[in-house]
Amino acid sequence: MIRKFCLLFIALTLSGCVGLNTVSMTQIPKDKGQLVEANAHDWVFLNFTTQNDFADRAVDNLKDLCVGGKISGVFTKHQTTSYFLVFKREVIVSGYCSLPKDRM
Amino acid sequence: MRKYLLLTPILLLTACARMDHIQVGDIDQSQGKLKPISVKVSENTVNVDTTLALTDAVLSNGSGSDEIEALRTIWALMNMGPRTGNPVFNDAYAQNVLNQLHAQCQSGKITAIRSVREANDYAIASGEIVRIDADCIL
Repeated sequence: MIRKFCLLFIALTLSGCVGLNTVSMTQIPKDKGQLVEANAHDWVFLNFTTQNDFADRAVDNLKDLCVGGKISGVFTKHQTTSYFLVFKREVIVSGYCSLPKDRM
Repeated sequence: MRKYLLLTPILLLTACARMDHIQVGDIDQSQGKLKPISVKVSENTVNVDTTLALTDAVLSNGSGSDEIEALRTIWALMNMGPRTGNPVFNDAYAQNVLNQLHAQCQSGKITAIRSVREANDYAIASGEIVRIDADCIL
C-alpha cells in the first residue's frame, strides 16, 4: 500500500502541465542576424510569491548574448508549469541579434 | 468568531505577487550606453467575491446566507467574460505611462521596453499594477 502511494506521489510530483500565459512578438527585419534565446524561471509553492523579478533576469540574459548589437523580432513567452503543489513560472525570450559590421 | 478576527489581519498583511502578462520589445545596445528607467502605476481594488464570501462565513458562521449568495451571483454575472486580474473602478490609471517614461529619458531614445501587467493580492483587496521598464539610450 505504502509502495503504491509512494509511486503515485512520485508520478504526481514529476508530471507537470504547462499553461501558456502570454506570447508576444515584435517586428522582424530583413537582415535578421543570429537567433539568440534566454530564459529565466522561479519556483513557487501554492502560488505564494512576493516578487516577479525573475522576468527581468531573462531580459538581462538576452542582452548579454548580444552586447553592442541590436535584438529585433523579440518573441516573448510566459508560461507556468504546474507540478504537485508547486508551480514553475517561466519567461522565455528569443530574438535576432544583429551586430554592427565592425563587431562581426 | 475570534478565529476569523485573527485570520483577517494575516490575510490583509500577506501579499502575493501575480504576473499576468509580459512583453519585451526590441533591444538596441548599438547606439551607446543604456540607463534603466521604469514607470509603475497601480490601482487598488477590492476583490468583491472574496469579500462577500468572507462576510458570509463570518456572519452566518459558515452555514451560508441566501442574500449574500444572491449578491455573489449578481456580481459574477456583472463581471462575466474575459478579464485580467480583479476589476478596478478607474479605467484611466494606466493612461499616462508614456509621458512618464519620456520624462525620465532626456535623449528621447528608449529601447528594451518591457510591459508588465502584474498585481499584489491581499486576499480581499489587490493592487493592479502596470509596470513599464525600459532603457534610455544616453
